[in-house]
Amino acid sequence: MVPQTVATAMPLPDAISDLFGLGDLGLIGQAITAFVAAFLIANVLLVMAAFAGPWGKRKIFADFSDRYAITEHGPWGLFIIPAAAIQLMSKELIVPKGVDRPAWDIAPIIMVFSAIFGFAVIPMGSGIHLADPEVGLLFAFAIASLSTLGMMIAGYASDNKFALMGGLRATAQNIAYEIPLIVTGASVILYTGSLQMSEIVAVQAETLVQLGPISIPAWFAFVNPFAFVLFLAAGMAEVGRNPFDVPEAPTEIVAGYQTEYSSIYFVLVYLSEFLHIFLAGAIMATLFLGGPAGPGPAALGIVWFLAKVVAFFLLTQWFRTAMPRVRIDQLIEIGWKGLLVLSFANLLLTAGIVGVFFA
Amino acid sequence: MIGLLKSLATTMKHALDGEVYTVAYPDEVPKVSPRFRGVHKFSQERCIWCRQCEKVCPNDTIQIVMDDKRNGEQYNLHIGQCVYCRLCEEVCPTDAILLTQNFEFTGDTKSELVYNKEQLKAVPWYKDIDPLEVREPDRGGWVGEGDGEVDYQ
Amino acid sequence: MSLEAPHEDPLARTDDRESLESILGDHAIGWEEHVNAQGVVIRPDEVQSSLRALRDEGGFDHLSSVTAQEYADRYESIYHLSKYDDRTQEVSVVVPTAKEEPVSQSADAVYRTADWHEREAYDLVGIEYEDHPDLRRILLPETWQGHPLGLDYDQDKPQLVSLSEHANPIAEHHHDEEGETMFLNIGPHHPATHGVLHLKTVLDGETVVDVDPDIGYLHRCEEQMCQQGTYRHQIMPYPDRWDYVSAGLLNEWSYARAIEDMADIEVPEYAQVVRTMGAELCRIAAHLISIGAFALDVVGDFTVTFQYAWQDREDVLNILEDLTGQRMMFNYFRLGGVVWDLPEPREDFFESIRTFLDSFEGSVDEYHDLLTNNEIFQRRCIGTGHLDAETAKSYGCTGPVARGSGIDYDLRRDDPYGYYEELDWDVAVQDEGDNYARMLVRMQELEESAKIVDQCVDILEDWDEDDREIQSNVPRTLKPDADAEVYRAVEGAKGELGIYIRSDGSDKPARFKIRSPCFSNLQVLGEAANGEYVADLIATLGSIDVILGEVDR
Repeated sequence: MVPQTVATAMPLPDAISDLFGLGDLGLIGQAITAFVAAFLIANVLLVMAAFAGPWGKRKIFADFSDRYAITEHGPWGLFIIPAAAIQLMSKELIVPKGVDRPAWDIAPIIMVFSAIFGFAVIPMGSGIHLADPEVGLLFAFAIASLSTLGMMIAGYASDNKFALMGGLRATAQNIAYEIPLIVTGASVILYTGSLQMSEIVAVQAETLVQLGPISIPAWFAFVNPFAFVLFLAAGMAEVGRNPFDVPEAPTEIVAGYQTEYSSIYFVLVYLSEFLHIFLAGAIMATLFLGGPAGPGPAALGIVWFLAKVVAFFLLTQWFRTAMPRVRIDQLIEIGWKGLLVLSFANLLLTAGIVGVFFA
Repeated sequence: MIGLLKSLATTMKHALDGEVYTVAYPDEVPKVSPRFRGVHKFSQERCIWCRQCEKVCPNDTIQIVMDDKRNGEQYNLHIGQCVYCRLCEEVCPTDAILLTQNFEFTGDTKSELVYNKEQLKAVPWYKDIDPLEVREPDRGGWVGEGDGEVDYQ
Repeated sequence: MSLEAPHEDPLARTDDRESLESILGDHAIGWEEHVNAQGVVIRPDEVQSSLRALRDEGGFDHLSSVTAQEYADRYESIYHLSKYDDRTQEVSVVVPTAKEEPVSQSADAVYRTADWHEREAYDLVGIEYEDHPDLRRILLPETWQGHPLGLDYDQDKPQLVSLSEHANPIAEHHHDEEGETMFLNIGPHHPATHGVLHLKTVLDGETVVDVDPDIGYLHRCEEQMCQQGTYRHQIMPYPDRWDYVSAGLLNEWSYARAIEDMADIEVPEYAQVVRTMGAELCRIAAHLISIGAFALDVVGDFTVTFQYAWQDREDVLNILEDLTGQRMMFNYFRLGGVVWDLPEPREDFFESIRTFLDSFEGSVDEYHDLLTNNEIFQRRCIGTGHLDAETAKSYGCTGPVARGSGIDYDLRRDDPYGYYEELDWDVAVQDEGDNYARMLVRMQELEESAKIVDQCVDILEDWDEDDREIQSNVPRTLKPDADAEVYRAVEGAKGELGIYIRSDGSDKPARFKIRSPCFSNLQVLGEAANGEYVADLIATLGSIDVILGEVDR
C-alpha cells in the first residue's frame, strides 16, 4: 500500500476557519471562510488563465510555427499579460443596436460562472479543496454544462446571424457530447462506487501493479484506457477545441456566439474558454489521473494537479495546430453514432473489468 | 487514424526542434538583397534636368519644376505613392536618381512622404550598399566620372 | 455547310477562314485579321445562333474572354473563342453595335461564362445585352452614373454611392418566399473570403441554398491605367498588382507575350529560360499561399500548415528578391527580355535555388502529412464542392480548377511559349472535380514547377558566357501598327491569364483588356457550393482560390 498522498482530511474553508479561529462564529463564520477560500481558488485560476491566454497560447503556437512570438515585453515577453489586461479593459464596450439586453450582458457572466464554480468540488491536493459533497461528480458535470446556456443566450441575444449560428452549433454540439461524457464518467463510478470527489481520488491511490520498485497506481486511465480516450474525445468536444471547434469556427462563422462581444465582455468570454479547458482538464485529472497524486510528499499535490491540467491545455493547443475541424453534420454524427455507442459499450466493459478484477 | 497521428507528429517535430524561422526585427535586421529597391536618392550634381524620369514614371510620382531658362528648381518625389518600379533609375542617363536599399521610412501624414530635393539627397545608404555596383557593373564608366568614390551628397 | 461534322474530331482545325465560312454561312457579314486569330464579324441579333454553331459544329467550347470597346462610330463586343482540346485554334467573333443603341444579343445561353463577362462589358463600356439573365453592374456600385471605359465618360462628375440600410438580420429575412431560409452576408469583412469578397448567401439551416458573389470592392481601373501607360515602360509595373500574392512574373508574362506578338519582338532564348525559371518560382509561391490558405479554411485558424507554407514561400521570395530586386512587385520583365541577368556571383545564386529545391521536397511531404493524408481533412474535402467537367468548361474555368475536374488543359503545353517546350514536365490532372482533387492538382504542380526550375538552373549553369543576351533591341518608343488587335494568354497561377490589346498607332494602347482567370473561376462558385454546408462553401471558395486583386482588377 502506497502512502495516501491525496485524500484531503478537511475542506479548505474549515482549514481557514481553524487557522483564524472563526469556528465559533456560526453561520457568518462559515460564510466568511467559504468566501475567502473561494476567492483564493478563483485567483489561482485567474492567474493560470492570465498566463495561458495572452502569453502561453501565443508562445506555444509560435513554437509550433517556428516563430518567436512576443519578444519586446519584458523577460520572455511576460509583461504582455498586464499590457493585454489594460488594453482589453480600456477598450470601448461596443453594444450593438439590436442586442437583447440584459440577456446579452448575462451570457458571458454565466459562461465564466459555470467554469469557475465547477472547481468548487475539485480536490486540488495540498489541502486545497473547497467542498466535498457526496454528489461532487454530478455537481461538476451539471455546473460545467451551464456554459452551454450562456453560449445559447449569447448567440441569440447578439442579434447577429453568425452569433446565432454559433449558439445553435454550440447547443447541438454540447447535447451530442454531454451524454457520452457523462456516461463515460459514470463508468468511473462503477469503479469507485462513489460520486464523492475525495473518494474517487482516494480509490485511485491504491496500487494497480507492482513492477519491482515501481508501483503503478490504480489510476482509472490505467485501469481502462479505452474510457480515458473516450472521455478525452468527448471532453475536447465539450470545450470546443479542435477538431471540434465548430461553435466558433472563425473561418466559417467569424467567431460564432462571441462575434459581438468586445472589451470586458470579450475578456469574460475568452476567460471562460480557458477556464473551461482547465475545468475539463481538472475533471479528467480527478477521474482518470488520480487527481493530485504524484511522486513526492503530499504537499506537492497541487503542483501535480496543476501539471495535469496544464498538460491537458497543452494537448488542446497541440491538436489545434494539426487537427482539421470537422463539419457540423460530421460532428453530430460522430457524437450520436460513434461516441454515444462507444460510451455505452465502455460502460459494459468497465462493469466487466470491475466485476472480474476489483470485485 | 495514422494520418492524424502523422499530422500531430509533424507539428510536434517543428515545436521540438527549436528552430526559429523569423528574425527578431528590429534587433536583428533581415537580409536585404543588393538589388532590392527602396527609397530613392537624388544627386543634384549629376542631374541634367532632362525630365526623363518624370516622363517615364507610371503614376506621376516625380514632379520637377524648372525656371524659364530650364534650370532645375525643384525635384519632388512622393515616396508614399511610388510603386518602386525603378524605371526612373533605368532611364536616367546620368544615374542622378537611384533607389537605395533603404526600406525603413515613416511619416505621420501623407504629405510628409513627399520628399523634396534636399530630403532625397539626405537619404542614407543602406548598409553602405552602392546600388549601381550590384545592379549594372559596367554603367559606372558610361557616366564618365572615372575612378574613385562616386559622390552623392 | 461542311459535310463532315468537324466537332467529332476535336483536333481538326476549324479556325481558318474556309471552315468558319462553312460553319457560319450567312451569319458572317465581314472578316477581320487579328494578330492571334481570324476575326469574323456577325450581326448583333445573331450572336446566339452564331456562337452555338461555332461551339457545336466548330468545336469551340471555350469562351475565353469577352472584350467590349467603344469606337468613334460604334460599339464592339469581341468573343474570344478557343478549344479546350487545342488551344492554338482561336477565333475572334466581333459583334459591332450601333452607337445610338448599343444592344447586342447575350451569349449566356451558349456559354454560361458570358454572364459575368457581359455584365462587366455593360458596366464598364455600356453595351446592353438582350436576353441576359441578370444584367446588372458588376464591378461598380449599382448607382454609378456613366460607363468609365466609354469615350464620353466624365470622370470629374461627382458620384453618389448610396448604401441601402441593412434589414434586421433575424426578424425579417426569416420567412421569405423560399420558406425557412436565412439571408447571410459572408464578407466583405470575413476571415475566410481571401480579400474583400462579399458572398450573398441564402441558407436553409446550415445548407447553402444560393450564393451570389458580389465583387468589385477592389476595383482599381487597372485596364484604364494600362491604357494610359506607354507600351515600352509604363504598363509593366501594373501586372504585378493583379494577382498580387507572388504571381507577379506570371502576370508580367501575359502582357509581355501579348505585346511581343503584336509588335513582332523577338525574345532571346537565354531570356526565355530566365523568364521560365522566374515564372515557375512565382507559381510555387502562389500555390503555397493557396494551399496554406486552404488549410486555414479547413483546419481552422490555428493551423501551422499556413505558417509552414508561408516559410517556404519566404524562401522563394528571397530568391526572387535576389533575381528581380523586389519581393512581390517585381517589374522584372521588359519587352523583348528581362531587365537584369542573374545576380553575381552566379554560383551562389544557383546554390541558393538548389538548396531551396532540396528542402522543398521535404516540405511537400510535410504538406501531404499535414493535409492530404489526414483522415479528417479527407472527410472534409473528398466529395465536397463538386464541379463536373462540362460545367467547368461552360463557365470558362481554367488552371487548377479545370484540371481538378479532369480537363487536361494547360497553356504552357497547349499553346507553348517561353522555354516550356524544351523542358520535361507533366500537366497535373485529377478527374474527381472536388475540393480534394483541386488540392492534389496544386500539390502536384508544386512538384512539377520545382522540376522545371531545377532544369532551368541546369541549363543556365551551362549557358555560354558570351551568349547571355537578356534583352533584344526594342525601340524606346514603341508604336504598333494602327488597328492591330491581339489576344494572348499565358498560364497564370490561377489559370488562363489573357490580355487583349488594340493599338491605335500611338505609343499607348487604345483598349487594354485583362482576362482574369479568377474572375471566370469565381463565377462557378454557386454551381460547386449550392446544396452543401456553409463549411463546404468556405472550403470550396478556398479551393477555387481567388485573388480579389485579379477578380476586380
